Amino acid sequence: MIGPLVNNGIISQGINTLAAVLIGVLFGYALQRSGFTNSRKISAAFYMKDVDVPVVMFTAIVTAAIGLWGMSLLGMIDTSKMYFLPSYLLPMIAAGFIFGIGMAVGGFCPGTSLASMVTGKIDAMVFVGGFLLGSLLFGDLYPIWDKFYNSNGFGVFRIDQLLNINLGLAVLIITLLGVFGSIGMRKLQYKFWGKND
Amino acid sequence: MKKKLWDPIFGGIMIGIAIILTFYISGRGLGASGAMTDFAVWIQNIIAPALNHSSQYFSKYVANGANPLDDYLVFMGVGIMIGSFLAGMVSKDLKFEVLKGPNISNKGRLWYALIGGVLVGYAARLARGCTSGQALVGGAELSVGSWAFMFSIFAGGFAVAYFVRRQWL
Repeated sequence: MIGPLVNNGIISQGINTLAAVLIGVLFGYALQRSGFTNSRKISAAFYMKDVDVPVVMFTAIVTAAIGLWGMSLLGMIDTSKMYFLPSYLLPMIAAGFIFGIGMAVGGFCPGTSLASMVTGKIDAMVFVGGFLLGSLLFGDLYPIWDKFYNSNGFGVFRIDQLLNINLGLAVLIITLLGVFGSIGMRKLQYKFWGKND
Repeated sequence: MKKKLWDPIFGGIMIGIAIILTFYISGRGLGASGAMTDFAVWIQNIIAPALNHSSQYFSKYVANGANPLDDYLVFMGVGIMIGSFLAGMVSKDLKFEVLKGPNISNKGRLWYALIGGVLVGYAARLARGCTSGQALVGGAELSVGSWAFMFSIFAGGFAVAYFVRRQWL
């Protein structure tokens, strides 16, 4: 069965919706069991006190990149039917900076706040409330920033295109970045905070 | 006694598999912030529907009487909550509490949580996604914008960490 299953008519929209729930269950389960429902653990990344958050992120990216690339090589997935995110560089850089400030102040990102809220964490419930306000603020006052939001667009723009290299080499580069980034951050954690914290 | 956490490498592989599955089954990535914004628009549709219809950004969510909650990501968001609740049950971590460092009051922590939530809610829309749907999924797709977004998140977090250290350390 060649993916994407729903785009190729192998499964119905109803089954696709059910899959969304089940994949969400796997994702939410993994977030909680990785400790990401704890705002102290998430924020500790910004003090290099506990770098599990970036290590999990890098591992997830590398796993998915190798998996998708491998599946496309084996003909298991038709990448032309996959949705690729467009790049709007300056808005994304600015948004990332605001987002990072919000994470260090609030202790969560959206997915972790949802996961944490249902385990009873009151700070997560309040964060979710703030998130709803913040996204309404964006949409209701859209004319103020719509120009910036739509500026500096590159369409689908991948690292292999940026560096003008083979896709496999780009996957290798981000894999090495993920592995050595994780090892390096763990070393810094031990250096600044010792091994037992 | 809470159960020991997963090894971060194992947790990362599980989340990576979840990303592969969404592409293989649904042809798209996973996400979290989209569902939350859908929910915000749904609430606004009850209390101030005119705001949705006059907003160039939100009007597409409710065009022709559409229900903003009828979205793939909303079903996934429900799944995230079910999964985390189950994991909390298994690991005995279901408890009403405020998590914070020892040097701040509960009330102080909740103000920070609110302000952080507003900033992240705004930034997730400006970035067209969050740590899940933009940084992880786009990162795996090798999207240049997603990688720039992710490095900016760490830059923003490190830049402000010193000033909010009383909350956490």
